[in-house]
Amino acid sequence: MTARQDTTEIRIGPTDVARVMTLLHDDPEFRFLILSDLCGVDTGSVMQVVYHLWSDATPDWLRVIVDGLPRDDPRAPSVTFLWNGAEWAEREAYDMFGIIFEGNRDLRRIYMPPDYQSFPLRKDFLLADDAARAPGQGVRHMEQTFQPAEYRRREVLRQGLGSDAGQMAPGLQTAELASGEDPAR
Amino acid sequence: MASDQPSNPQDGLTTTRDDSLVKPIIVANSTWTPADPTAYNGGQPPQITHLRELELGDKSDNGRWGALDVIPTKADYVLDLIRINSLWPLLSGLACCAMEMMSAATSRNDMDRFGMFPFRASPRQADVLIVAGTLTTKMAGPLVRLWEQMPEPKWCVAMGDCTCSGGRYKRSYATVEGIDRVMPVDVYVPGCPPRPEGLIYGMMKLQQLIKERRGHWPERHIGPTVPIGV
Amino acid sequence: MTTEQTIRSLDDPDLFVETPGTIYDAIPPLPPRTEREAEFYTMRDGEMLINLGPQHPSTHGVLRVVLKIDGERVVDLDPVLGYLHRGVEKICENGDWHHAISNCDPLEYIAAMFSEAMPVMVAEKLLDLEVPRRAEYIRVLAWELNRISSHALFVGWLALDLGGLTPILYGFIERDEIVEMLAALTGQRLLFNYLRIGGVNGDLNHDFLSRLGDWMGNALKRIEEQQKLLNSNEIFVARTRGLGVIDRDMARRTLLSGPVLRATGIPYDVRRAHPYSVYPELEFTIPTREEGDSYARYLLHLDEIKQSIHIIDQVLHRMPDGPVMAKVPRLMRIPPGRAYVSIESPRGQYSAYGMSDGSDQPFRLRIHDPSFFNLQAVGLLMPGNLVADTMAIMASLDPIMGGIDK
Repeated sequence: MTARQDTTEIRIGPTDVARVMTLLHDDPEFRFLILSDLCGVDTGSVMQVVYHLWSDATPDWLRVIVDGLPRDDPRAPSVTFLWNGAEWAEREAYDMFGIIFEGNRDLRRIYMPPDYQSFPLRKDFLLADDAARAPGQGVRHMEQTFQPAEYRRREVLRQGLGSDAGQMAPGLQTAELASGEDPAR
Repeated sequence: MASDQPSNPQDGLTTTRDDSLVKPIIVANSTWTPADPTAYNGGQPPQITHLRELELGDKSDNGRWGALDVIPTKADYVLDLIRINSLWPLLSGLACCAMEMMSAATSRNDMDRFGMFPFRASPRQADVLIVAGTLTTKMAGPLVRLWEQMPEPKWCVAMGDCTCSGGRYKRSYATVEGIDRVMPVDVYVPGCPPRPEGLIYGMMKLQQLIKERRGHWPERHIGPTVPIGV
Repeated sequence: MTTEQTIRSLDDPDLFVETPGTIYDAIPPLPPRTEREAEFYTMRDGEMLINLGPQHPSTHGVLRVVLKIDGERVVDLDPVLGYLHRGVEKICENGDWHHAISNCDPLEYIAAMFSEAMPVMVAEKLLDLEVPRRAEYIRVLAWELNRISSHALFVGWLALDLGGLTPILYGFIERDEIVEMLAALTGQRLLFNYLRIGGVNGDLNHDFLSRLGDWMGNALKRIEEQQKLLNSNEIFVARTRGLGVIDRDMARRTLLSGPVLRATGIPYDVRRAHPYSVYPELEFTIPTREEGDSYARYLLHLDEIKQSIHIIDQVLHRMPDGPVMAKVPRLMRIPPGRAYVSIESPRGQYSAYGMSDGSDQPFRLRIHDPSFFNLQAVGLLMPGNLVADTMAIMASLDPIMGGIDK
């Protein structure tokens, strides 16, 4: 997946985001004042956050890929301090992938209902005919119910439940396919 | 009683057919195996856990909402004939089919001629719920609440493929496959989106249905007309 | 889930079922999950929370806005999206690039040519495919026709939300003519499924051209007639002028685009900033307005209709001959790569980011609708206004929930 790209692209790690974005935004030579798109990507091994920036100084888009977010606890800094409009895009990335944006004042689910348990666009959330039978819950025996540590802790505190609450349901640690197909075809 | 079968088939429209030549051709599914082995054997009832209150326990309207406090009287036999010509729809345009519904309501394909111009905003004043557009699980609750707020007599038209059976979003994680899983439907208008003339045909079918079924509107069933496992 | 959760009927007079996860967000949700929610649901004396629910007569789709009002003035608001989330991106990942065309159609259902163009242009960029010139011109023709029909509807909806029932009928007359034209060309009125990777599905035909000629004959005259209904209508002007003023800095920070942005004075149009297709060869201006209020947005939409008619005129004069579809294999294995495309839809900058992993299925197809960012402007504009003006502001931003919710 590193073969071709069409625009200039830079890859940074999650710790550099604030610094790099501020530099690209404020520097008079760059002037990347407009963020066109903010999305999350699940490559199967890591998670990424991809920003597309535009500047009136160059005719090309700049793609900033924040690479290397671990799949079980993806966290990235938020860019809402530069662009207010990124708030909802980060909410969407959280909703679809589980990427937690630190600094976003309003990181809750935007598309799915607030009590939805999974993150649909992750590669281990599989759509199958079973999904047709239990809409809203995802595919129960096929999906991996992912709950980031923070969510689990918060739920535990909120409901005052015991210490064993917030664990993933037993037996659902990995995505299993009943027919034994390879999900990554 | 299936809602699309008239109680008195009219003479002259029945023909004798030789069914031996028109047997349905059944092709066994060999291209993929469903993950659930009981899928096509009746399957399990849909556990819409997210909408647990709407689970399909009871198939008839009466059981679902308690004994119906409204008893159709003899007057309703006549009133239904009058109601046909002034069915007021509730604005329930969710997605693309709403565009065609609005197109059916405006000048070129006029639904006003059938008495359906005022698209009421409030469910308390509406007769027909034309569900136009994909029903998602998040929206299912509010939509059923709207349906329940509509006073009897009320009818429901499922417009578009997404409301009839899930349509192109049948395999999606966030949609309800067909609104007949959550509310009783009287007329299905297929199409993606159906042409405005198609919707008008559907409304005329609804008028015919009300006329034939006059006075018997509480007896309807919730439940998909398509087998659950499909 | 708490253990004392009972299943209650929805007709229970005790309206809110007190389980932590219900489909109805209890207002206020207890406890608030984020900082912003806590700020929103902290109410001072005299404030009320009102639900502008998912079903409301202003036909922008299913958007729910929780308004915090003090008397008649809106103090704060919390838009809730997701009532039309259909999982399009996930479905696209499970199908072909060709399936993605018809899957992405209903995103911007009013002007479906733009949303279809997303997977098509991403795939063409990944394949480095050259589209025949005739196909490019037909695409521009279809795009501009869709733009006109969308803007005509915008005018109608803006008036409808302010209470005027006539202009929407005029808007639908325009739209029905254009849409019948496109049905003659593509076979469908709304979700055309016309663009293909490498061109378009079929050439122009006689039915389409004759309808187009009839329509073009008096298009400009009709638009100007319809303008007369509203332009100097006292009530319309009084209700829209000065309403929902956006200033340039906030517009940039909120990442607005399209007519909403150009009404504030920033002349950013993707057709000129990042030229795509054959727009560099066509001559048109980018209308802008300075004031940034709803009336300016309305006038800007009318200016854009006129520019689009001008573009269609040029396209018809310059239409080249040739094939309408490049030679592409049916089974399209796209080499691995990433591509980003962006076009100007009636609502703003419509963009898509596609990743391919070498197979014929998209690895990630991210479609980004301009209404998604544009709708965030309601958070800036509604506070301070009357409840009656909330829908006027929403209508003037022209959101389409299909694209916002995907």
